[in-house]
Amino acid sequence: MSITCSELTKIYEGGKTGWPALRGITFDIKPGEFVAVTGPSGCGKSTLLNIIGLLDEPSGGKYSLNGRDVFTLSDLERSDTRRDEIGFIFQSFHLLNRLSSVENVCLPMMYAGADSGEMHKRAIALLGKVGLHGKEKKIPLELSGGERQRVAIARALANSPKLILADEPTGNLDSASSKEIMQMLVDLNAEGITVIMVTHDKELAARAGRNIRMCDGRIEK
Amino acid sequence: MRSLLNAAKTGFTEIWAHKTRSVLSFLAIAAGSVVFIDAFSAIFATYARLEKQKEISGMARMKISQNYSQTYSSPDDYVPPPVFRYEDVLRLREKMPELYMVSPEGRDWRNVLSYGDQRLTTSVMGVTPEWTKRDFIYTLRGRFLDWNDVENKLRVCVLVKKAAPPPGFDKAMMKKYNFTGGFDMLVAHNDMLGKMVNIDGFTFTVIGILEELPYSKRTRPITGNSQDYKILAPVTTLVHYNFIGQQSLDINIDTGSEQNYDESMRKINNFLKIRFGDGDFFIVENQLEGIRERIAESIKSALVTISLGMLAFLAGGIGIMNVTLATVFARTREIGVRRAIGASRRDIMLQFIVEAVMLGLIGGVLGSALGYLWGVPVKVMLGMGGSPVKPWMPLVSVFIAAFTAFIFAIYPAWVAAGLKPADALRAE
Repeated sequence: MSITCSELTKIYEGGKTGWPALRGITFDIKPGEFVAVTGPSGCGKSTLLNIIGLLDEPSGGKYSLNGRDVFTLSDLERSDTRRDEIGFIFQSFHLLNRLSSVENVCLPMMYAGADSGEMHKRAIALLGKVGLHGKEKKIPLELSGGERQRVAIARALANSPKLILADEPTGNLDSASSKEIMQMLVDLNAEGITVIMVTHDKELAARAGRNIRMCDGRIEK
Repeated sequence: MRSLLNAAKTGFTEIWAHKTRSVLSFLAIAAGSVVFIDAFSAIFATYARLEKQKEISGMARMKISQNYSQTYSSPDDYVPPPVFRYEDVLRLREKMPELYMVSPEGRDWRNVLSYGDQRLTTSVMGVTPEWTKRDFIYTLRGRFLDWNDVENKLRVCVLVKKAAPPPGFDKAMMKKYNFTGGFDMLVAHNDMLGKMVNIDGFTFTVIGILEELPYSKRTRPITGNSQDYKILAPVTTLVHYNFIGQQSLDINIDTGSEQNYDESMRKINNFLKIRFGDGDFFIVENQLEGIRERIAESIKSALVTISLGMLAFLAGGIGIMNVTLATVFARTREIGVRRAIGASRRDIMLQFIVEAVMLGLIGGVLGSALGYLWGVPVKVMLGMGGSPVKPWMPLVSVFIAAFTAFIFAIYPAWVAAGLKPADALRAE
């Protein structure tokens, strides 16, 4: 999954002139890269990740995903791209608390219209892959933080994405769990998946192939 | 189809997870269902009654009676007005054989009836066999008067046996409606069929007993003249034995159909003019108008009830909209998550609409059950007279409940679908 951004800006509405979160971001990410985005709070890391993940729209600049200009995509095409090509991992997991682990993992496949039996099989396999064998029926509240994040990773992998976007994936975890989750991301990257991770943690950032450091909505040179 | 099933599953989970909220929504829409079913069954009952009444009374009714409002300036000017006699009835019949019913009535108001050692006052009515053609709300034991009785002026009679008073009649009402009258008691407690009775000194044979249908099985005639019949005898006999002597007869007419009503009316007026001259000695009362007015009134009250039902559904719908909006705001982050992992706007909309429709469906089913209970056993227990609930009424009501929920869920679902994924994810 190649990503090309040039002069990306994002201005949040509010006040007279609005509040600029991104002030002209330009970078390229090649397929199979592992990129860590670091920087102080409020520097626009998450905004950038949201824009890359098609959860938010930039106010200006150019962004093409695999050669497609995302400004031309319809809402439905953006949804389909998120579903089929991108996997999200969030700091606070964002699992649906009323659904079991396996049901959470099934959701993206459900939206893709997968067959229910196939979907279940794959979800169980994915949970096994992230080391949650035997916890398929548990709801998120019955799992530890690390386990929840593994469910989230399994969910992110459901539709075999080419790109994984992780927003502070270890932010709510203890150091042991953090290491495990980080190792998983490294392994996924080794399988050829492009990974972009936002983090505060310099140690984790150091394990990524490349670091992009941001400050005040700009990339630090 | 699959996304619909999944939405239904999510909807069910949500409904189950918020039981109180869901039950309140059910109740709101169920109230609509109850009122709706009640309204429809009431309308249906009204229509059924009207149909039955039409069948019993006929639509094309008119009545000829003497015009009592004739004025004269002094007693010397007074010329006795012509009277409508049985011969005139025969003549009218001969001139207009197409009429469905020409039924003369001549009442003697105060008669003394003796039977064994009982003497009581009553009232005898002279009629012909045509009397049975309309407003016949009786079962007959023995036989009714026939043309032979009429032509030969036979002293035979038919007695009317009153139905038991409807439940809830107290003593004062019994008295008011003459349930305790001597004649009614006599007929109620003695089998009079085939017996001889003496009326004003003349012996009559009781050839038939007309038993009024019980109140539950009877519809009141719509013609408005629900006479209190006690003894029916051939009109010719009553003339012959001077019970009604020179009295003018009232003639109840049914033209047979509404189409020839005006034409028949014109012909009858013509007949009266030719036979009795130009003075307005008789009035031909147009009863069709009255019946039509009554039907229109029934329809109007039915519409009022229906609109009440619709209002109740509207209230239920607003309840559902409120709940769905609350759900959307409570689950904003979930919407964000679903959008992030690939749900389209359509998926989100579908989810909330399906959930609301399920609320509507369950509420509708609940309301239908309550509506049925209300319509049949409860109303009967309360003495309001049950209204029939037809199988299609709950079905329609469930459909309307679901449809109302659907309509009122569109806006909240649209709000949900319109949320930007990034904003929704940030919501607390």
